[in-house]
Amino acid sequence: MPHNTTAEQRLGSPLPSKRDEVWKWTDLRRAVTDKAGGLTSAARPKFDLPHGVKIREGEGPEKQSKKYGHGTMAALAKSFGGKSWEIYVPSGLRPAAPLVISDIARGHCRIMIMVDKGAHIHLFEHYGGEQGGFTNSDIQIHLAEGAKLTRTIIQDDPADHCRIANAHIAIEEGAKLTQHCLAFGGGLVRMETNLTSEGEGVTADMGAAYLLSGERHCDMTSVIRLAHPNCTIDQAVKGVVDDKTRGVFQGKFLVERAAQHTDAQMRHDALMLSDRAQVRAKPELEIYADDVACEHGNTLGQLDETSLFYMRQRGIPIAQARAMLTEAFVSSVFDSVEDDDLRESLLVKVREWLEAR
Amino acid sequence: MLKINNLHATVDDGQKQILNGLSLEVPAGEVHAIMGPNGAGKSTLAYVLTGRDGYDVTEGEVTLDGEDLLDMEPEERAAKGVFLSFQYPLEIPGVPTMTFLRTAVNAQRKARGEEPMGAPEFLKTARALAKELKIKPEMLKRPLNVGFSGGEKKRMEIFQMMMLAPRFIVMDETDSGLDVDALRIVADGVNKLRGAGRGMLIITHYQRLLDYIVPDRVHVLSQGKIAASGDADFAKTLESEGYDAYAA
Ligand SMILES: Nc1ncnc2c1ncn2[C@@H]1O[C@H](COP(=O)(O)OP(=O)(O)O)[C@@H](O)[C@H]1O
Ligand SMILES: [Mg+2]
Repeated sequence: MPHNTTAEQRLGSPLPSKRDEVWKWTDLRRAVTDKAGGLTSAARPKFDLPHGVKIREGEGPEKQSKKYGHGTMAALAKSFGGKSWEIYVPSGLRPAAPLVISDIARGHCRIMIMVDKGAHIHLFEHYGGEQGGFTNSDIQIHLAEGAKLTRTIIQDDPADHCRIANAHIAIEEGAKLTQHCLAFGGGLVRMETNLTSEGEGVTADMGAAYLLSGERHCDMTSVIRLAHPNCTIDQAVKGVVDDKTRGVFQGKFLVERAAQHTDAQMRHDALMLSDRAQVRAKPELEIYADDVACEHGNTLGQLDETSLFYMRQRGIPIAQARAMLTEAFVSSVFDSVEDDDLRESLLVKVREWLEAR
Repeated sequence: MLKINNLHATVDDGQKQILNGLSLEVPAGEVHAIMGPNGAGKSTLAYVLTGRDGYDVTEGEVTLDGEDLLDMEPEERAAKGVFLSFQYPLEIPGVPTMTFLRTAVNAQRKARGEEPMGAPEFLKTARALAKELKIKPEMLKRPLNVGFSGGEKKRMEIFQMMMLAPRFIVMDETDSGLDVDALRIVADGVNKLRGAGRGMLIITHYQRLLDYIVPDRVHVLSQGKIAASGDADFAKTLESEGYDAYAA
């Protein structure tokens, strides 16, 4: 296979493409050319740290292979991302202010976050890239015993931006993850979460919404590996696709033999606002334990015509009626956001998107 | 005055003719009842008057105070004051009842070039009205009609109707699903709206509702037309004798 980019030449292997099973609906190789800004350079993330949270520049590429994810994107981040960043949240620390990561606007980067025993932290990732740019971020998160992470991600890139945002989250006994993601897609965007249990009684509550207009592409991929008993996972993804957009959902629960009494739910529901839009979904359960409650559901639908007529009969103009029903469809994934102001700010972004259409 | 002249309408992409030359006049301030067997086309008439997609008018005119209704979008007709109390009210998940109704009230006001109703005035009016209709305040916070019983949904239609104070009201089988107490509450509400230049068309299957809301005229809808008309007592005759005499 010819290497069509400098990055591939340096890497000695091709970018992920539809030939790779897990990239079959998100063909990065086709979307990215040498012109993409940041394809072979390091990103310069900005960090806002709450009091008591520490950061240092981590080891260079040669020493970090073990810690970071595998695969082509991890290798790219390693080759071009320069030194990594290491963030440490000390044991028991529970700052009110969030840890904010922003400005990953072009290029590659690796960030490691260690949340030590019993610490509670709110991580806010804001992704807004450069026009015509490419970004590849690899975040490694480790939640120690009893730690709690509230992770909020807003992806709001220009229409032609290519972004691969990957997180690997390892969770120890009794630790808890609450994650919410609001994504608007881009030239090619993939928001990926890989979660692995490293102890029993792990809890993860994951809500995500993607709202796409124009010709945007957004891929929500997640792999959740459970190898310990008594874990609870609740995942809900809602998609709204308009115009000529493409939404992708790939969700996998891998429940190993030891993971007895797992309670895991996965839902993906997509709303088609245009018949030229496309949604591909692959919910997957791979279960080796026998005493578990695991379910998945996947639907693809349109706004209900009868409901629309009912609203119009009450005097609500059709565009507004559509927006209200769409907002109602999406907003339920943010019901579990604990902070009222944060939930409202996510809903404001949803409304802005609806109004801009 | 609502004027329906020689109305023909089809459903199912024109394959099924339901209304077949229906003519009817409801002068301002009057209450008319429409009765008729199941499947006669009563709901079809209600949907044609309110502009639902899939109910196509092939001939005839409908005007409200001289304005052509058939040319308007459903929301424009609503802003002109046409209100339909649905036979099967819809559930709107995720939209609280109060939000829904305030949006509707202010969308109509905007379309008429009026000032929006402020939140305090809206709340005050809504609370007083809910009390009158024996609607629990908690219900107003819940998503519209979600998980409500059939009777609660019908009461909620009347609540919306009274908040919107429409000029012409169509009620499609509002009595079905209501017990006697609820029927009385609903009828009291409707009777309050009588007069003041407001016309009403009450579609019903049973005469029962008409004991509480006494109509000025009663019509039988059969074979896609008004087959017979009479005064309030005519409803009682119809109830005891049935509609067979008006079938083909
Ligand atoms: N959307 C529709 N598509 C096909 N047939 C319909 C539709 N709506 C009504 N009909 C048919 O039209 C006839 C009249 O129905 P309807 O107006 O609901 O009667 P009523 O309200 O008097 O019971 C019935 O035969 C019904 O099956
Ligand atoms: Mg009917």
